Amino acid sequence: MTRQQSKRLGRAGVVGVVLMASVAWAQLPPSAVATGAPDEGDPRIEAALLVDATQVKPGDTFRVGVRFRMDPGWHVYWKNPGDSGLETEVTWDTPGSTVGPLQWPYPHTFRTSDGFIVTHGYDGEVLLFAQARAAENATGQLQLSAAANALVCEVHCIPAELMLTRNVPVGPETLRDADATHAFDAAQAKVPRPTADTGHTVQLALDSKQLTAGQEFTGTLTVTGPKGAALPALEGDFFTPERIAGVADVSLTSVGSGRFKLKGKMEPDAPGSEPRLAGVLRLGTAASGYQALSVDVPMAPVMPVGGAVAAAPVAVKPPSVKDSIAAVKPVAVAPVAAPAAESSVSLGLALLFAFFGGALLNLMPCVFPVLALKAYGFTRMVQNEHGRVGAHAAAYAGGIIGSMLLLAGTVLGVRAGGASVGWGFQFQEPLFVAAVSAVLVAFALNLFGVFNVGLDGTALAGKVDQSHGLMHSVGEGVLAVVLATPCSAPLLGTAVGFAFAAGPLTVLAVFFALGLGLALPFCVLVLVPGLAKKLPKPGAWMERFKQVLGFALLATTVWLVWVMGGLAGVDGMARLLAFLVAVGLGTWLYGQSQTQEGGRRFASVALAAVVLVGAGVASLRFDGLAPEARASSSVARTQPWDPAAVTAALEAGQPVFIDFTADWCLTCKFNERTVLSREEVRAAFTENQVAFFVADWTRRDARITAKLAEHGRAGVPMYLVLSPGAPDKPEVLSELLTTDLVVDAVKRAAECSPARRKNGSNVVCAVGFPRP
Amino acid sequence: MKQVFTALALGAMFLGAPAFADAEVGKPAPTFTLKDESGKEHSLAQYKGKIVVLEWTNPECPFVQRHYSADTMANTLKGFDAKKVVWLAVDSTAHNTPEKSAAWKKTEGFSYPVLQDASGTVGKSFGAKTTPHMFVIDEQGVVRYAGAIDDDPRGKNEKKTNYVKTAVDALLAGKPVPTATSNSYGCSVKYKSS
Repeated sequence: MTRQQSKRLGRAGVVGVVLMASVAWAQLPPSAVATGAPDEGDPRIEAALLVDATQVKPGDTFRVGVRFRMDPGWHVYWKNPGDSGLETEVTWDTPGSTVGPLQWPYPHTFRTSDGFIVTHGYDGEVLLFAQARAAENATGQLQLSAAANALVCEVHCIPAELMLTRNVPVGPETLRDADATHAFDAAQAKVPRPTADTGHTVQLALDSKQLTAGQEFTGTLTVTGPKGAALPALEGDFFTPERIAGVADVSLTSVGSGRFKLKGKMEPDAPGSEPRLAGVLRLGTAASGYQALSVDVPMAPVMPVGGAVAAAPVAVKPPSVKDSIAAVKPVAVAPVAAPAAESSVSLGLALLFAFFGGALLNLMPCVFPVLALKAYGFTRMVQNEHGRVGAHAAAYAGGIIGSMLLLAGTVLGVRAGGASVGWGFQFQEPLFVAAVSAVLVAFALNLFGVFNVGLDGTALAGKVDQSHGLMHSVGEGVLAVVLATPCSAPLLGTAVGFAFAAGPLTVLAVFFALGLGLALPFCVLVLVPGLAKKLPKPGAWMERFKQVLGFALLATTVWLVWVMGGLAGVDGMARLLAFLVAVGLGTWLYGQSQTQEGGRRFASVALAAVVLVGAGVASLRFDGLAPEARASSSVARTQPWDPAAVTAALEAGQPVFIDFTADWCLTCKFNERTVLSREEVRAAFTENQVAFFVADWTRRDARITAKLAEHGRAGVPMYLVLSPGAPDKPEVLSELLTTDLVVDAVKRAAECSPARRKNGSNVVCAVGFPRP
Repeated sequence: MKQVFTALALGAMFLGAPAFADAEVGKPAPTFTLKDESGKEHSLAQYKGKIVVLEWTNPECPFVQRHYSADTMANTLKGFDAKKVVWLAVDSTAHNTPEKSAAWKKTEGFSYPVLQDASGTVGKSFGAKTTPHMFVIDEQGVVRYAGAIDDDPRGKNEKKTNYVKTAVDALLAGKPVPTATSNSYGCSVKYKSS
């Protein structure tokens, strides 16, 4: 016997055993069994037409299915075959009865040894079945025919087409076939059930508000068991996605009980629709048994990349500074017409915006004190340590860029955890506000001379100072970043919004560019020879100036205490102030220790630490504290933002103005004080019957975060003007408002109201808002 | 200052980090140089200025056999201007040899080269998963179509759309490709197991 022959015999033996197993059942007629996929003469698959009844009463339901048995190592495919293969197909021809949709038990996942090709299907045995119903007028025999079309693969693939038929007698009552019923029940148990039927809840939080053709996306899927029960353990390939039009490479990774990280990619030619995440989630393990759920949740609307597929890629040319300033200006002033325009911002432009935004941050009231502080330090250095200026500038820039990247990392981390965050999000956290306030107070006290950093008052100071001095510069850089975040300068909104909607590398790049911009003034100071020398000469004025700067820092603290009021009310403010007093006491104790020696010194430092930690533990509890009921805004007649109320106002024919703001957003407050509360603006609002909504993002609010993201923004301020004539096309105003900008936008919105148009206005309203 | 420059250089690395992935529609195709069954070298670069159709193939696959017995590839190619369109078959089957390709070419009677990729490197760089799996690359070397040859996996439709034909026709007419991706169907590419 040749080896080939013995191999065939072996295979024939396996088929024989398989066939014998089916003999134990009610006799299958020969027409109900077929073999296919001949491999050098041996069939690799056997199919049988099963029915769970031996007799059916007219009008009764029964189950009918095709059982596939494959040779060991061979498989057929699920409805989504995966990277290769072909969906197994069963078509019915059943005069006298109707057959429902095919039921698919959950599939296995097959991988090539290198994991490059992943497919979904069945090996061993599977029963693909359907519910059927005999016609009311059925008589005699029910004819059941199935054409099964399967691609049978091991390493190579063989198509099989199998024709199966059998008859079931019609009778006065339905008689079940015990063996077949058992087989159908077993298959039924493997069919994924809709989560609505099992009491599971499924929530999907995508990290971006919309999907973009050709782009990857991530999100978090949260699944909870009935009545909030935890999910059982998972095993192996627990998730099999269905074929989702326009979406590729969908995968779930378990990141905790019932929490999954979703990753996928949009096809470059994805249609502009709202795809659903559909697939099979298999819970449990081989030991515990499996339960399969059918997951089907909406994802997000797809934004097709207009013409991107057709157009040749344009080489990204780094714009010159002159070009970029020209390019930047209109964006800062002109209203952005449509969300699509924002998202088409290229990476280069976003980086440029970030860079200039960062540079502008230096002028914002939040950062300016640090800048002034640094300038003061520079004056001192230029005199004392000529050669160290560059190093200090580098340390300062390093501190800024390092903390920017850290912030980017935090953003990515939080985003990976499924929460949506935005620019300035840290200021929604009372503990963070408290920490920043403490640092500011400590810094101010340092400037007042309560204690020294780096210089410990001893003779050693001079030698250690150089490294300490550098660390000091790094620290100042870090502080500049910490303080800069609430000041969303113009341009920054677009750049950061772009970053938040993009991949991790883009986020890092944009934050890096922001940092560079923020560090720019000092780099310039060092790079331009002679500029540093123009700084004023040091002298006694420096000591006074230093102390004045200390007060500037304390003033910044006042603002933070006010922010805390918005987060945690009067009680929160009191706790924060108590903690700040402790910070004062602690730093004072530390300052005392700097003039002491040995044990006494240690005791003072220890006491300072105890005071700080003790006060921190005792006072820094903000959970459950309600924010202060807001005193009426400086802007007349506002109401809290609520999508339903907005719709109602629009339906009533009112134009709508929505102010997305937060207490810690100085740009927002600036706009409110200088523009929105102006008499002309108020008059325009009254005259045009504008409904004014305030969306307050001081504390976390997922709805607001989502709304911001919808317009490509990651932070406040954002100003939307909606017209009752074109409610789907909001006008997004610039981050820096002017009176004319607001008045004009409101007028345009009012003119587009259907009521006004009857009076003969010919303003075109449907497509955006053309600028006059 | 040195630290600043180091930081800048690091930042540039972040921006410049290339992402290696499958051939993606709208992006430049992975470059390659492969020998055909007669030992002649073909590189993607040498066909710049022409439209290149890549056909992943394996004569042992029933789907490929079906298409060759129906002359799908030959009929598709026949519709194109030979001066503007290049057709290259690629065989990434681990156990393929130039002799097998040459013999198959003779039986089927076609003239385009069968590129030998037994190592699977080029197949994997394109993300070729099935036989057949088709890619259309435009004159600038950008992938414009990736997927199946047509919308008829079972070979039973009376009226079928040949995606490769519509893609090449659109490119020749300077129009956007109507269907830029589709699910390729067929046998899996029999890559060398690593």
